[in-house]
Amino acid sequence: MIGRLEGKTALVIGAAGRDNMGQVIARRFAKEGAKVVVAGRRMDELERFAAEIGGKATKVDVTRKADLEAAAKLAKDEFGHLDIALNATGWGLLKGFLETTEEEFDAMSELQFKGPFLFMQSMIAAMDNKAGGRGGSIIQISSATAKIMFHDHAAYMGAKAGTDHLIRVVANEFGTHGIRANSISPGLTESPMTQDAMGVPGLKEAFLKGYPLGRIGTADDIAAAAVFVASDECFMTGENLQISGGLTLRGNPTREDIAASVAAASATE
Amino acid sequence: MGRLQGKAAVILGASDERSMGFATAKRFVEEGAKVVLAARRGDNVRELADRLGGTSIACDITNEADIAALAAKALEEFGRLDVAVNYSGVDVAESIMESTAEGLRKSSEVHFVGTALFIRHMASAMAHGGSIITTSSLTALAQAPNYAAYAGAKAGADTIVRIAANELGERGIRVNSIAPGFTRSAMTDAYFEMENITKAFIKEIPLGKFVVVEDIAETALWLAAEAGSTTGQVIDVTGGQSLRRVPLPIDFG
Repeated sequence: MIGRLEGKTALVIGAAGRDNMGQVIARRFAKEGAKVVVAGRRMDELERFAAEIGGKATKVDVTRKADLEAAAKLAKDEFGHLDIALNATGWGLLKGFLETTEEEFDAMSELQFKGPFLFMQSMIAAMDNKAGGRGGSIIQISSATAKIMFHDHAAYMGAKAGTDHLIRVVANEFGTHGIRANSISPGLTESPMTQDAMGVPGLKEAFLKGYPLGRIGTADDIAAAAVFVASDECFMTGENLQISGGLTLRGNPTREDIAASVAAASATE
Repeated sequence: MGRLQGKAAVILGASDERSMGFATAKRFVEEGAKVVLAARRGDNVRELADRLGGTSIACDITNEADIAALAAKALEEFGRLDVAVNYSGVDVAESIMESTAEGLRKSSEVHFVGTALFIRHMASAMAHGGSIITTSSLTALAQAPNYAAYAGAKAGADTIVRIAANELGERGIRVNSIAPGFTRSAMTDAYFEMENITKAFIKEIPLGKFVVVEDIAETALWLAAEAGSTTGQVIDVTGGQSLRRVPLPIDFG
C-alpha cells in the first residue's frame, strides 16, 4: 500500500517528549511514507525517537530563527526538499489573569507567538516555489481555547489566537508561492502533559460534559487531521480545524464546575 | 432634549407589560419619540399604548398585509418613520429527533419570513433613512438543546440582517439585530419560575445576573439613536453567556 505522504519530507518541531503530540504526529507521518526530521530541545529523546521511526533528529529552539533555518536546511540536505512543517511546541501555563507575571507573559509570547512567527518565516523560505522550493503545507497546533473560554489560561489563549491570525496572513500572502498554512485545534487531549491531572477523580468528568462525541481527544485524532492537512488531497488554506469532538459547540467547565465535580468524586470514594 | 426627539418609531411585539417591546416603547417615549405599538392581539396593545400616549395597531408578523399596514400607520399618524423594532417571537422547543414540519414552519414564518418582510416594508416607509432593529437570540450564538427550529430561523434572520444592511446602506438605513440572553420577559416567565433552570443558567453568565428587558430597551435605544455607523451587526446582550454555554438538560438536575 502506498502511504498518503509517500515522497514527502516533513519537519515536526516539539517532538522531544516521549509519546507527546509531536511524536505521535511524526510517527504517523513516517507510517504514511514521509521522511521525517524531528526537532525539539532534548537531543537524547529526539535521537531515540528518530531511530524508532527511521528519521533524523535535530535540536531546535523555536524562538531562535537560526535553529529553524538550520532544521529546514537539514531536511533539504538529507532528503532533497521540505514539504510539510508542523509546530507542536507549547507551554500550557495555568495562571490567573491578574496573577500572570510580566516574565511569564514574555516567556509565553516568545514561545507561542514569536516562535510560530519565526517558524512560518523560515518554513516559507524553504518551501517557496518561486525561490527553489516546491511548495508545501505549514501546520500549527493551536487550541480550542483560542476560540472558546477557559479560566486561568489567558496568556496561552491570547498567543494561540494571535498565531491563528498569522496563519491566515501567511495563507493569504503565500498561496501563489505554493504554500498552504492551517492550524489544528485540539481540546483536552490525553497526553503525557495531561496524564497527572487526568488522574484526579472527578476532573475528567467535569470536562466530558462539554464533548458531544462523549470522549476527550487523543493525539492520534490530531495526527489523523494533520495527515489530511499535510497531504496533496487538501485544498484548504488559512483555516483553523477544530478537532475536539464538538467541544466548541458546548464549552469548557468553569473553575467552579471543576471544583464541584472533584469534590463530588472524592465524597463518594 | 431627548435622544429620539422628532423621531417616529414602530415597535412590534408589545402585547404585555413585561415584554421587551413595552420596555423599549417606554424608553423611546421618555427620549421624545412618537411610537406606534403593535402586537398580534390588538386589545392588549391598545391599553399599553394608551398608557404611553402612543398609538397602536394589531399586527401579525406572519401576515404581510399587517406588516404593510403597520408601516402605513406610522406614516399616517406621524408623517414619517425613522425607527422600526421587531420583537415578535414564538417559543418552539423540539429536539431534533422529535422535530416536526409544523414546528419548523411556525418558527420560520415568524422569525425568518417575518423578519425579512418586516425589514422590507419598514425600509420602504423610511424616506429619510432610519434604523431597523430585529431580535436574534443567545441560541443563535451558543447551542441550545431543543432549539433547532427557533435558533435556526433566528440565525437565518441574522444573515438577512447582514444582506439587508449591505443593500440598504445607500438609502441611509441601518439594519441590526439584538441577541438577548436568557431574559425574564412575558415569553420566558414560566422558565424563571423553575429554580433548577435559573440555577443552571446563572452559572453560565459571566456578569452573574440575568438580562432584563430594560437592558434590551437600552440597546435598542442606542441602535435607534446614536449608532450611526453600526450596521449589519448582531449585538450580543447575553451578559457574556455566549462565551460559555447554554445548559444541557442534565444540568437541570
